[in-house]
Amino acid sequence: MNVNFSIVLEYWPVLLRGLGMTVAITMTCALVGSLAGFILSLARTSGNRMLSYPASLYVEFFRGTPLLIQLFWVFFCFPIVLGLSVAPIVSVCIALILYMAAITCETFRGALKSISSDQYDACTALGLSAGVRVTYVIFPQALLRAIPPLLSNVISLFKESALISSVGIADLMFVGQNLSNSTARPIEFLTAVALIYFVVAFPLTRLVGWVERRMLRRFS
Amino acid sequence: MNNAVLNSRVASDPVSYDDSDSPQLIKLRGVVKSYNDGALTVMDHLDLDMHAHERLVIIGPSGSGKSSLLRVMMGLEGIQEGTIDFLGTQYITGTRNKPQKLDPRLQRQIGMVFQHYTLFPHLSVLGNLMLAPTKVHGWTKAQATERATQLLARLGLESKLHAYPSQLSGGQKQRVAIARALMLEPKLMLFDEVTSALDPEMVVEVQNVMLKLAEQKMAMIIVTHDMHFARHIATRVVFCANGKIVEQGPPEQIFTNPKEARTREFLEKVVIFD
Repeated sequence: MNVNFSIVLEYWPVLLRGLGMTVAITMTCALVGSLAGFILSLARTSGNRMLSYPASLYVEFFRGTPLLIQLFWVFFCFPIVLGLSVAPIVSVCIALILYMAAITCETFRGALKSISSDQYDACTALGLSAGVRVTYVIFPQALLRAIPPLLSNVISLFKESALISSVGIADLMFVGQNLSNSTARPIEFLTAVALIYFVVAFPLTRLVGWVERRMLRRFS
Repeated sequence: MNNAVLNSRVASDPVSYDDSDSPQLIKLRGVVKSYNDGALTVMDHLDLDMHAHERLVIIGPSGSGKSSLLRVMMGLEGIQEGTIDFLGTQYITGTRNKPQKLDPRLQRQIGMVFQHYTLFPHLSVLGNLMLAPTKVHGWTKAQATERATQLLARLGLESKLHAYPSQLSGGQKQRVAIARALMLEPKLMLFDEVTSALDPEMVVEVQNVMLKLAEQKMAMIIVTHDMHFARHIATRVVFCANGKIVEQGPPEQIFTNPKEARTREFLEKVVIFD
Protein backbone atom coordinates (compact mmCIF):
# COMPACT_ATOMS: atom_id res chain seq x y z
CA MET A 1 0.00 0.00 0.00
CA ASN A 2 1.31 3.32 -1.03
CA VAL A 3 0.14 6.14 1.22
CA ASN A 4 1.41 9.63 0.63
CA PHE A 5 -0.09 12.47 2.59
CA SER A 6 1.90 15.15 0.79
CA ILE A 7 -0.77 15.13 -1.91
CA VAL A 8 -3.20 16.58 0.66
CA LEU A 9 -0.94 19.61 1.00
CA GLU A 10 -1.16 20.24 -2.75
CA TYR A 11 -4.93 20.49 -2.54
CA TRP A 12 -4.97 22.32 0.79
CA PRO A 13 -6.63 25.53 -0.55
CA VAL A 14 -9.48 23.48 -2.04
CA LEU A 15 -10.09 21.74 1.27
CA LEU A 16 -9.99 25.07 3.08
CA ARG A 17 -12.63 26.50 0.75
CA GLY A 18 -14.79 23.48 1.52
CA LEU A 19 -14.29 24.04 5.24
CA GLY A 20 -15.22 27.70 4.75
CA MET A 21 -18.52 26.66 3.17
CA THR A 22 -19.23 24.17 5.96
CA VAL A 23 -18.49 26.76 8.68
CA ALA A 24 -20.53 29.49 6.97
CA ILE A 25 -23.56 27.24 6.56
CA THR A 26 -23.24 25.89 10.12
CA MET A 27 -23.01 29.36 11.65
CA THR A 28 -25.90 30.79 9.64
CA CYS A 29 -28.17 27.86 10.38
CA ALA A 30 -27.13 27.67 14.05
CA LEU A 31 -27.93 31.33 14.61
CA VAL A 32 -31.24 31.49 12.75
CA GLY A 33 -32.23 28.02 13.93
CA SER A 34 -31.57 28.86 17.60
CA LEU A 35 -33.64 32.01 17.44
CA ALA A 36 -36.47 30.09 15.80
CA GLY A 37 -36.01 27.36 18.43
CA PHE A 38 -36.36 29.86 21.26
CA ILE A 39 -39.59 31.26 19.84
CA LEU A 40 -40.78 27.69 19.31
CA SER A 41 -39.99 26.82 22.95
CA LEU A 42 -42.07 29.78 24.15
CA ALA A 43 -44.94 28.52 21.99
CA ARG A 44 -44.49 24.97 23.24
CA THR A 45 -44.43 25.94 26.93
CA SER A 46 -47.26 28.46 26.64
CA GLY A 47 -50.56 27.37 28.11
CA ASN A 48 -52.28 28.10 24.81
CA ARG A 49 -53.02 24.85 22.96
CA MET A 50 -53.37 26.64 19.64
CA LEU A 51 -49.66 27.37 19.99
CA SER A 52 -48.30 24.46 21.99
CA TYR A 53 -49.84 21.62 19.95
CA PRO A 54 -48.53 22.68 16.52
CA ALA A 55 -45.13 23.45 18.09
CA SER A 56 -44.99 19.99 19.70
CA LEU A 57 -46.00 18.30 16.46
CA TYR A 58 -43.32 20.20 14.57
CA VAL A 59 -40.60 19.30 17.08
CA GLU A 60 -41.54 15.64 17.28
CA PHE A 61 -41.69 15.35 13.50
CA PHE A 62 -38.27 16.84 12.90
CA ARG A 63 -36.70 14.92 15.77
CA GLY A 64 -38.29 11.68 14.65
CA THR A 65 -37.21 11.63 11.01
CA PRO A 66 -33.71 11.34 9.51
CA LEU A 67 -32.06 14.61 8.64
CA LEU A 68 -31.13 13.18 5.23
CA ILE A 69 -34.77 12.72 4.24
CA GLN A 70 -35.61 16.22 5.51
CA LEU A 71 -32.81 17.56 3.38
CA PHE A 72 -33.95 15.65 0.29
CA TRP A 73 -37.54 16.63 0.84
CA VAL A 74 -36.77 20.33 1.08
CA PHE A 75 -34.34 20.10 -1.80
CA PHE A 76 -36.47 18.09 -4.26
CA CYS A 77 -40.08 18.48 -3.14
CA PHE A 78 -40.25 22.09 -1.92
CA PRO A 79 -39.62 23.59 -5.37
CA ILE A 80 -42.20 21.29 -6.96
CA VAL A 81 -44.86 21.85 -4.30
CA LEU A 82 -44.34 25.60 -4.21
CA GLY A 83 -43.70 25.92 -7.92
CA LEU A 84 -40.60 28.01 -7.22
CA SER A 85 -37.04 27.52 -8.24
CA VAL A 86 -34.91 27.70 -5.12
CA ALA A 87 -31.11 27.91 -5.19
CA PRO A 88 -29.56 24.69 -3.82
CA ILE A 89 -27.68 26.56 -1.11
CA VAL A 90 -30.92 28.19 0.09
CA SER A 91 -32.64 24.80 0.11
CA VAL A 92 -30.06 23.17 2.33
CA CYS A 93 -30.00 26.16 4.67
CA ILE A 94 -33.78 25.97 5.05
CA ALA A 95 -33.55 22.26 5.83
CA LEU A 96 -30.80 22.71 8.42
CA ILE A 97 -32.60 25.67 10.03
CA LEU A 98 -35.82 23.65 10.34
CA TYR A 99 -33.84 20.84 11.96
CA MET A 100 -31.86 23.14 14.27
CA ALA A 101 -35.06 24.91 15.37
CA ALA A 102 -36.57 21.60 16.44
CA ILE A 103 -33.60 20.48 18.53
CA THR A 104 -32.88 23.87 20.14
CA CYS A 105 -36.57 24.20 21.02
CA GLU A 106 -36.06 21.23 23.33
CA THR A 107 -32.89 22.77 24.74
CA PHE A 108 -34.64 26.00 25.66
CA ARG A 109 -37.67 24.14 26.95
CA GLY A 110 -35.42 22.11 29.26
CA ALA A 111 -33.72 25.28 30.48
CA LEU A 112 -37.05 26.96 31.18
CA LYS A 113 -38.27 23.89 33.05
CA SER A 114 -35.08 23.62 35.11
CA ILE A 115 -35.88 26.92 36.84
CA SER A 116 -37.47 25.80 40.08
CA SER A 117 -40.82 27.00 41.34
CA ASP A 118 -38.94 28.57 44.27
CA GLN A 119 -37.66 31.21 41.89
CA TYR A 120 -41.19 32.06 40.82
CA ASP A 121 -42.26 32.16 44.49
CA ALA A 122 -39.44 34.57 45.30
CA CYS A 123 -40.56 36.82 42.43
CA THR A 124 -44.12 36.88 43.72
CA ALA A 125 -42.96 37.54 47.28
CA LEU A 126 -40.89 40.49 46.06
CA GLY A 127 -43.90 41.85 44.15
CA LEU A 128 -42.22 41.59 40.75
CA SER A 129 -44.52 42.09 37.77
CA ALA A 130 -44.64 39.40 35.08
CA GLY A 131 -42.54 41.58 32.76
CA VAL A 132 -39.79 42.15 35.33
CA ARG A 133 -39.88 38.48 36.29
CA VAL A 134 -39.33 37.23 32.74
CA THR A 135 -36.81 39.91 31.74
CA TYR A 136 -34.59 39.99 34.82
CA VAL A 137 -35.04 36.61 36.50
CA ILE A 138 -36.32 33.86 34.20
CA PHE A 139 -34.85 34.69 30.78
CA PRO A 140 -31.25 35.33 31.96
CA GLN A 141 -31.23 32.07 33.90
CA ALA A 142 -32.76 30.09 31.03
CA LEU A 143 -30.22 31.51 28.58
CA LEU A 144 -27.26 30.78 30.87
CA ARG A 145 -28.42 27.24 31.44
CA ALA A 146 -29.06 26.72 27.73
CA ILE A 147 -25.56 27.72 26.64
CA PRO A 148 -23.79 24.36 27.16
CA PRO A 149 -26.47 22.26 25.38
CA LEU A 150 -26.76 24.94 22.67
CA LEU A 151 -23.06 24.62 21.97
CA SER A 152 -23.48 20.85 21.78
CA ASN A 153 -26.28 21.37 19.27
CA VAL A 154 -24.01 23.56 17.17
CA ILE A 155 -21.30 20.89 17.20
CA SER A 156 -23.71 18.22 16.02
CA LEU A 157 -25.03 20.57 13.34
CA PHE A 158 -21.43 21.14 12.19
CA LYS A 159 -20.94 17.39 11.78
CA GLU A 160 -24.41 16.62 10.40
CA SER A 161 -23.94 19.31 7.78
CA ALA A 162 -21.72 16.82 5.90
CA LEU A 163 -25.02 15.44 4.59
CA ILE A 164 -25.48 18.48 2.34
CA SER A 165 -22.68 17.13 0.15
CA SER A 166 -25.22 14.56 -1.05
CA VAL A 167 -27.12 17.26 -2.96
CA GLY A 168 -23.97 18.74 -4.46
CA ILE A 169 -23.14 21.65 -2.13
CA ALA A 170 -19.37 22.15 -2.20
CA ASP A 171 -18.77 21.79 1.53
CA LEU A 172 -15.79 20.11 3.15
CA MET A 173 -17.26 16.63 2.75
CA PHE A 174 -18.13 17.17 -0.91
CA VAL A 175 -14.71 18.56 -1.73
CA GLY A 176 -12.98 15.72 0.12
CA GLN A 177 -15.02 13.09 -1.68
CA ASN A 178 -14.35 14.67 -5.06
CA LEU A 179 -10.65 14.92 -4.42
CA SER A 180 -10.41 11.32 -3.27
CA ASN A 181 -12.21 10.17 -6.44
CA SER A 182 -10.33 12.33 -8.91
CA THR A 183 -6.91 11.60 -7.43
CA ALA A 184 -7.72 7.99 -6.47
CA ARG A 185 -6.35 8.76 -3.00
CA PRO A 186 -9.31 8.05 -0.68
CA ILE A 187 -7.16 7.14 2.34
CA GLU A 188 -5.28 10.43 2.33
CA PHE A 189 -8.22 12.71 1.61
CA LEU A 190 -10.90 11.06 3.72
CA THR A 191 -8.48 10.89 6.64
CA ALA A 192 -7.56 14.53 6.17
CA VAL A 193 -11.24 15.54 6.03
CA ALA A 194 -12.00 13.58 9.20
CA LEU A 195 -9.06 15.28 10.93
CA ILE A 196 -10.23 18.71 9.82
CA TYR A 197 -13.74 18.10 11.22
CA PHE A 198 -12.15 16.89 14.45
CA VAL A 199 -9.76 19.82 14.78
CA VAL A 200 -12.67 22.25 14.53
CA ALA A 201 -15.11 20.29 16.70
CA PHE A 202 -12.73 19.25 19.47
CA PRO A 203 -12.01 22.71 20.91
CA LEU A 204 -15.74 23.39 20.76
CA THR A 205 -16.54 20.27 22.81
CA ARG A 206 -13.86 21.30 25.32
CA LEU A 207 -15.46 24.74 25.45
CA VAL A 208 -18.80 23.13 26.27
CA GLY A 209 -17.20 21.29 29.20
CA TRP A 210 -15.58 24.48 30.44
CA VAL A 211 -18.78 26.51 30.19
CA GLU A 212 -20.68 23.71 31.92
CA ARG A 213 -18.29 23.65 34.87
CA ARG A 214 -18.57 27.40 35.23
CA MET A 215 -22.37 27.20 35.09
CA LEU A 216 -22.39 24.47 37.73
CA ARG A 217 -20.29 26.65 40.01
CA ARG A 218 -22.70 29.51 39.58
CA PHE A 219 -25.88 27.52 40.01
CA SER A 220 -24.97 24.85 42.55
CA MET B 1 -42.95 18.12 82.95
CA ASN B 2 -39.27 18.74 83.36
CA ASN B 3 -38.34 21.63 81.14
CA ALA B 4 -34.95 22.59 82.46
CA VAL B 5 -33.47 23.10 79.02
CA LEU B 6 -36.25 25.32 77.80
CA ASN B 7 -36.41 27.25 81.07
CA SER B 8 -32.76 28.07 80.91
CA ARG B 9 -33.36 29.81 77.56
CA VAL B 10 -36.22 31.87 78.90
CA ALA B 11 -34.23 33.13 81.86
CA SER B 12 -31.93 34.94 79.44
CA ASP B 13 -34.71 36.02 77.08
CA PRO B 14 -33.88 39.58 76.08
CA VAL B 15 -36.86 40.13 73.83
CA SER B 16 -40.10 39.90 75.75
CA TYR B 17 -42.63 42.47 74.66
CA ASP B 18 -46.01 43.77 75.75
CA ASP B 19 -48.40 44.20 72.83
CA SER B 20 -51.43 45.31 74.83
CA ASP B 21 -52.16 48.50 72.89
CA SER B 22 -50.56 48.01 69.48
CA PRO B 23 -52.83 48.14 66.42
CA GLN B 24 -54.28 45.07 64.76
CA LEU B 25 -52.15 43.77 61.92
CA ILE B 26 -53.91 40.65 60.68
CA LYS B 27 -57.43 39.34 61.10
CA LEU B 28 -58.41 35.92 59.73
CA ARG B 29 -62.08 34.97 59.74
CA GLY B 30 -63.39 31.56 58.72
CA VAL B 31 -60.46 30.78 56.45
CA VAL B 32 -60.74 27.44 54.66
CA LYS B 33 -58.03 25.94 52.52
CA SER B 34 -57.56 22.40 51.30
CA TYR B 35 -55.45 20.51 48.79
CA ASN B 36 -56.33 17.69 46.40
CA ASP B 37 -59.99 18.64 46.05
CA GLY B 38 -60.62 18.70 49.76
CA ALA B 39 -58.74 15.50 50.59
CA LEU B 40 -56.30 17.40 52.80
CA THR B 41 -57.66 20.34 54.77
CA VAL B 42 -54.90 22.59 56.05
CA MET B 43 -57.06 25.47 57.25
CA ASP B 44 -60.44 24.55 58.64
CA HIS B 45 -62.50 27.67 59.38
CA LEU B 46 -59.53 29.35 60.95
CA ASP B 47 -59.86 32.56 63.00
CA LEU B 48 -56.70 34.34 64.05
CA ASP B 49 -55.80 37.85 65.18
CA MET B 50 -52.36 39.33 65.31
CA HIS B 51 -51.25 42.74 66.51
CA ALA B 52 -48.30 44.79 65.36
CA HIS B 53 -45.05 43.83 67.10
CA GLU B 54 -46.33 40.38 67.96
CA ARG B 55 -44.16 37.43 67.07
CA LEU B 56 -46.22 34.36 66.30
CA VAL B 57 -44.56 31.00 66.11
CA ILE B 58 -46.67 28.33 64.48
CA ILE B 59 -45.88 24.78 65.53
CA GLY B 60 -47.55 21.49 64.71
CA PRO B 61 -47.13 18.12 63.06
CA SER B 62 -45.70 17.92 59.53
CA GLY B 63 -48.28 18.14 56.81
CA SER B 64 -50.60 20.19 58.99
CA GLY B 65 -50.15 23.11 56.61
CA LYS B 66 -48.20 25.40 58.91
CA SER B 67 -46.62 27.07 55.93
CA SER B 68 -49.96 27.60 54.22
CA LEU B 69 -50.85 30.72 56.17
CA LEU B 70 -47.51 32.27 55.19
CA ARG B 71 -47.89 31.34 51.54
CA VAL B 72 -51.43 32.66 51.47
CA MET B 73 -50.44 35.97 53.09
CA MET B 74 -47.75 36.41 50.46
CA GLY B 75 -50.12 35.70 47.56
CA LEU B 76 -48.44 32.45 46.55
CA GLU B 77 -51.57 30.42 47.18
CA GLY B 78 -55.25 31.17 47.46
CA ILE B 79 -57.91 30.17 49.96
CA GLN B 80 -61.32 28.63 49.44
CA GLU B 81 -63.44 30.53 51.92
CA GLY B 82 -63.14 33.27 54.47
CA THR B 83 -61.43 36.65 54.62
CA ILE B 84 -58.06 37.97 55.68
CA ASP B 85 -57.63 41.61 56.65
CA PHE B 86 -54.21 43.20 56.74
CA LEU B 87 -53.53 46.61 58.29
CA GLY B 88 -57.28 47.11 58.75
CA THR B 89 -58.07 46.61 55.05
CA GLN B 90 -59.63 43.61 53.37
CA TYR B 91 -56.66 41.86 51.77
CA ILE B 92 -57.67 38.36 50.70
CA THR B 93 -61.04 36.70 50.18
CA GLY B 94 -61.76 33.05 49.47
CA THR B 95 -61.97 32.20 45.78
CA ARG B 96 -61.69 28.48 45.09
CA ASN B 97 -58.03 28.20 46.14
CA LYS B 98 -56.89 30.34 43.22
CA PRO B 99 -54.15 32.81 44.11
CA GLN B 100 -55.48 36.29 43.46
CA LYS B 101 -53.64 39.42 42.50
CA LEU B 102 -53.13 41.09 45.85
CA ASP B 103 -53.14 44.83 46.41
CA PRO B 104 -49.46 45.63 45.77
CA ARG B 105 -49.47 48.48 48.30
CA LEU B 106 -50.40 45.96 50.99
CA GLN B 107 -48.33 43.09 49.66
CA ARG B 108 -45.13 45.14 49.69
CA GLN B 109 -45.57 45.61 53.45
CA ILE B 110 -44.89 41.91 53.86
CA GLY B 111 -41.49 40.25 53.46
CA MET B 112 -40.96 36.54 53.24
CA VAL B 113 -37.97 34.24 53.72
CA PHE B 114 -38.10 30.66 52.46
CA GLN B 115 -36.51 27.40 53.51
CA HIS B 116 -34.37 27.09 50.37
CA TYR B 117 -32.97 30.65 50.21
CA THR B 118 -34.46 31.32 46.74
CA LEU B 119 -31.79 33.90 45.93
CA PHE B 120 -31.44 34.69 42.24
CA PRO B 121 -28.27 32.75 41.29
CA HIS B 122 -27.38 34.93 38.31
CA LEU B 123 -27.34 38.17 40.33
CA SER B 124 -24.83 39.36 42.91
CA VAL B 125 -25.88 39.93 46.50
CA LEU B 126 -26.38 43.59 45.71
CA GLY B 127 -28.30 42.71 42.53
CA ASN B 128 -30.61 40.45 44.52
CA LEU B 129 -31.40 43.22 46.98
CA MET B 130 -31.84 45.96 44.39
CA LEU B 131 -34.02 44.20 41.82
CA ALA B 132 -37.46 44.79 43.33
CA PRO B 133 -36.84 48.35 44.63
CA THR B 134 -35.38 49.61 41.36
CA LYS B 135 -37.45 47.68 38.80
CA VAL B 136 -40.82 47.76 40.57
CA HIS B 137 -40.87 50.54 43.13
CA GLY B 138 -39.04 53.25 41.23
CA TRP B 139 -36.09 53.71 43.58
CA THR B 140 -32.95 55.15 42.03
CA LYS B 141 -29.89 52.93 41.93
CA ALA B 142 -28.17 55.20 44.45
CA GLN B 143 -31.06 54.93 46.92
CA ALA B 144 -31.22 51.17 46.60
CA THR B 145 -27.45 50.76 46.88
CA GLU B 146 -27.36 52.88 50.02
CA ARG B 147 -30.16 50.97 51.72
CA ALA B 148 -28.74 47.61 50.65
CA THR B 149 -25.27 48.48 51.91
CA GLN B 150 -26.67 49.59 55.28
CA LEU B 151 -28.77 46.46 55.65
CA LEU B 152 -25.96 44.12 54.70
CA ALA B 153 -23.60 45.84 57.12
CA ARG B 154 -26.15 45.37 59.89
CA LEU B 155 -26.30 41.66 59.07
CA GLY B 156 -22.52 41.35 58.98
CA LEU B 157 -22.33 40.85 55.22
CA GLU B 158 -20.63 44.08 54.16
CA SER B 159 -17.79 42.13 52.53
CA LYS B 160 -20.19 40.10 50.38
CA LEU B 161 -21.83 42.91 48.40
CA HIS B 162 -20.50 41.72 45.06
CA ALA B 163 -20.39 37.98 45.77
CA TYR B 164 -22.70 35.60 43.95
CA PRO B 165 -25.03 33.32 45.94
CA SER B 166 -23.02 30.21 45.02
CA GLN B 167 -20.00 31.74 46.78
CA LEU B 168 -21.85 32.03 50.09
CA SER B 169 -22.44 29.55 52.89
CA GLY B 170 -26.00 28.49 53.68
CA GLY B 171 -26.15 30.82 56.65
CA GLN B 172 -24.89 33.74 54.60
CA LYS B 173 -27.39 32.99 51.83
CA GLN B 174 -30.23 32.99 54.30
CA ARG B 175 -29.07 36.30 55.81
CA VAL B 176 -28.96 37.79 52.32
CA ALA B 177 -32.50 36.49 51.76
CA ILE B 178 -33.58 38.22 54.97
CA ALA B 179 -31.89 41.45 53.85
CA ARG B 180 -33.65 41.21 50.48
CA ALA B 181 -37.01 40.83 52.19
CA LEU B 182 -36.25 43.84 54.43
CA MET B 183 -35.35 46.20 51.58
CA LEU B 184 -38.84 47.70 51.28
CA GLU B 185 -39.20 48.10 55.06
CA PRO B 186 -42.05 45.64 55.53
CA LYS B 187 -44.39 45.78 58.51
CA LEU B 188 -44.58 42.01 58.75
CA MET B 189 -41.95 39.34 58.14
CA LEU B 190 -42.80 35.72 57.35
CA PHE B 191 -40.22 33.03 58.04
CA ASP B 192 -40.98 29.63 56.54
CA GLU B 193 -38.69 27.03 58.18
CA VAL B 194 -35.73 29.21 57.35
CA THR B 195 -33.18 27.18 59.30
CA SER B 196 -34.38 23.69 58.33
CA ALA B 197 -31.97 23.34 55.41
CA LEU B 198 -28.96 24.73 57.29
CA ASP B 199 -26.05 22.95 58.89
CA PRO B 200 -26.29 23.19 62.68
CA GLU B 201 -23.44 25.67 63.05
CA MET B 202 -25.17 28.06 60.69
CA VAL B 203 -28.54 27.93 62.36
CA VAL B 204 -27.51 30.26 65.15
CA GLU B 205 -26.21 33.01 62.87
CA VAL B 206 -29.57 33.16 61.14
CA GLN B 207 -31.52 32.94 64.40
CA ASN B 208 -29.43 35.79 65.83
CA VAL B 209 -30.49 37.99 62.92
CA MET B 210 -34.11 37.14 63.63
CA LEU B 211 -33.64 37.94 67.32
CA LYS B 212 -32.15 41.29 66.33
CA LEU B 213 -35.26 42.02 64.28
CA ALA B 214 -37.34 41.02 67.28
CA GLU B 215 -35.52 43.58 69.42
CA GLN B 216 -36.48 46.17 66.82
CA LYS B 217 -40.13 45.16 67.32
CA MET B 218 -40.59 43.68 63.86
CA ALA B 219 -43.85 41.76 63.59
CA MET B 220 -43.16 38.19 62.52
CA ILE B 221 -44.89 34.92 61.82
CA ILE B 222 -42.44 32.07 62.10
CA VAL B 223 -42.89 28.44 61.14
CA THR B 224 -40.18 26.32 62.73
CA HIS B 225 -39.43 22.88 64.09
CA ASP B 226 -36.88 24.31 66.52
CA MET B 227 -38.76 24.42 69.82
CA HIS B 228 -35.89 26.09 71.70
CA PHE B 229 -35.89 28.92 69.25
CA ALA B 230 -39.69 29.06 69.20
CA ARG B 231 -39.72 29.54 72.93
CA HIS B 232 -36.97 32.11 72.77
CA ILE B 233 -38.44 34.38 70.11
CA ALA B 234 -42.22 33.97 70.31
CA THR B 235 -44.60 36.33 72.04
CA ARG B 236 -47.30 33.81 71.23
CA VAL B 237 -47.10 30.18 70.20
CA VAL B 238 -49.87 28.76 68.04
CA PHE B 239 -50.21 25.00 67.94
CA CYS B 240 -52.07 23.77 64.86
CA ALA B 241 -53.23 20.29 63.95
CA ASN B 242 -55.62 19.11 61.25
CA GLY B 243 -56.24 22.63 60.03
CA LYS B 244 -57.39 23.96 63.38
CA ILE B 245 -55.73 25.96 66.12
CA VAL B 246 -55.64 23.49 69.00
CA GLU B 247 -54.09 25.83 71.51
CA GLN B 248 -52.32 29.17 71.61
CA GLY B 249 -50.71 31.31 74.25
CA PRO B 250 -47.47 32.70 75.61
CA PRO B 251 -44.53 30.31 75.14
CA GLU B 252 -44.14 29.64 78.88
CA GLN B 253 -47.69 28.37 79.02
CA ILE B 254 -47.57 26.27 75.85
CA PHE B 255 -44.22 24.70 76.60
CA THR B 256 -44.49 24.17 80.36
CA ASN B 257 -48.17 23.79 80.97
CA PRO B 258 -50.15 23.00 77.84
CA LYS B 259 -53.88 22.67 78.45
CA GLU B 260 -54.71 20.36 75.59
CA ALA B 261 -53.72 16.70 75.55
CA ARG B 262 -53.00 16.98 71.79
CA THR B 263 -50.44 19.74 72.43
CA ARG B 264 -48.76 17.79 75.21
CA GLU B 265 -48.58 14.71 73.03
CA PHE B 266 -46.93 16.68 70.23
CA LEU B 267 -44.41 18.39 72.50
CA GLU B 268 -43.43 15.14 74.12
CA LYS B 269 -42.53 13.83 70.67
CA VAL B 270 -40.47 16.77 69.48
CA VAL B 271 -38.75 18.15 72.58
CA ILE B 272 -35.98 16.23 74.27
CA PHE B 273 -36.24 16.70 78.02
CA ASP B 274 -33.45 15.75 80.38
